[in-house]
Amino acid sequence: MVADEPTLARLMTAAQGGDKAATSVLLSEAGLWLERYFRRRIPPHSIDDLVQDVLIAFYTKRATWDPSRPFLPWLAAIARYRWVDHLRKVYKHESQELMDDDASQDSDEEIVMARVSLDRLFGQLPERQAEVIEMVKISGLSIREAAEKTGQSESLVKVNIHRGLKKLATLVEKAE
Amino acid sequence: MEKYNNRDDLIAALTEDVTPVTPIRPRQGLALIAFATVAAALACVVIFGFWAGMLDGRASPYFWISNLLLAIVGASSATALVSTVTPRVGAQNPAPAWSTAMLAVLPIAVFIGVMSLEAGHDHGMSLSDPGLRYWECAAYGLGASSLIALASVLFLRRGAPVSLNRAGWLIGLTSGSLGALAYNLTCPLDSLLHTGVWHVAPVFMAAIFWRYAAPPLIRW
Repeated sequence: MVADEPTLARLMTAAQGGDKAATSVLLSEAGLWLERYFRRRIPPHSIDDLVQDVLIAFYTKRATWDPSRPFLPWLAAIARYRWVDHLRKVYKHESQELMDDDASQDSDEEIVMARVSLDRLFGQLPERQAEVIEMVKISGLSIREAAEKTGQSESLVKVNIHRGLKKLATLVEKAE
Repeated sequence: MEKYNNRDDLIAALTEDVTPVTPIRPRQGLALIAFATVAAALACVVIFGFWAGMLDGRASPYFWISNLLLAIVGASSATALVSTVTPRVGAQNPAPAWSTAMLAVLPIAVFIGVMSLEAGHDHGMSLSDPGLRYWECAAYGLGASSLIALASVLFLRRGAPVSLNRAGWLIGLTSGSLGALAYNLTCPLDSLLHTGVWHVAPVFMAAIFWRYAAPPLIRW
């Protein structure tokens, strides 16, 4: 069970004061909280890496917590920032592969990651963009196959995937 | 930092030599920005000379309207900017956007005034006003703003801004408005055509510039 807000705030005050034991307990508790936070947001195999990433950011930026404000919203803001950064890297990687025309050679891991990350946001994309992202980035079709199925030219498929992924990244960044 | 297979190992490594830290306060950022603004104003006065018109009553109402609006934009955006130094979630302060919209009334009024001239109503304005062509004020205001932008970036780099684009806009609005204000104290041209265009232009130019230039500088 993760400690409550007042306990975490007290631990954080002690951590800012240089208390080693409090810092250690706080990082462990924050790790548990972050695990739960990311569970509904990213694939299970990526959670631990992202939690470690946030814990490092938490530690290096611990001076930015204002003791007069609650602790958990501060931690949530850092977690969300790192999560968006993580998604941006995934999208950038996917977009780069698309430009390299290797889209159909995605690993299973990346396809699953794309599925989990994109599904929730697909409803906000124009149908033509969502359709080709679904085909190429998730079902693993080649650009040519997607072009044949949708009646779009190969260039248009690439453009729609690129724009769709970019829009998804923007939507994620804007989400509160 | 290297990745650890075990989270406990990471925590042990992080806490190996814990040191006390002093919480970063937004008011430290305000003090830094205020200091940079005063330094920019002093530099402008040294370079261009102080215009005494604001003390002896020669300054027109447009001088006061434009500069007070710049001060309002500067105050609201600087306050919002320094609060981005600490990560937080929830509603964002809308004051900078509204105060910038208020400032935009000036160039809009100039545009409508020029249109009125075409229709034969001069309202005391003239296209032969030399201030309309004296664009250098915008350049000097932008130059002064760079000092304030530098102070803002340095302050945010100590913190952890989580909305980089918004922080970029705010750096531009803060530095543009306060930089323009710092320079405008030296400018004797105070017609609506001049103040409504060249004295407020640095705000919009700096906002657009820093929206794109700042994020790579403050990413963490």
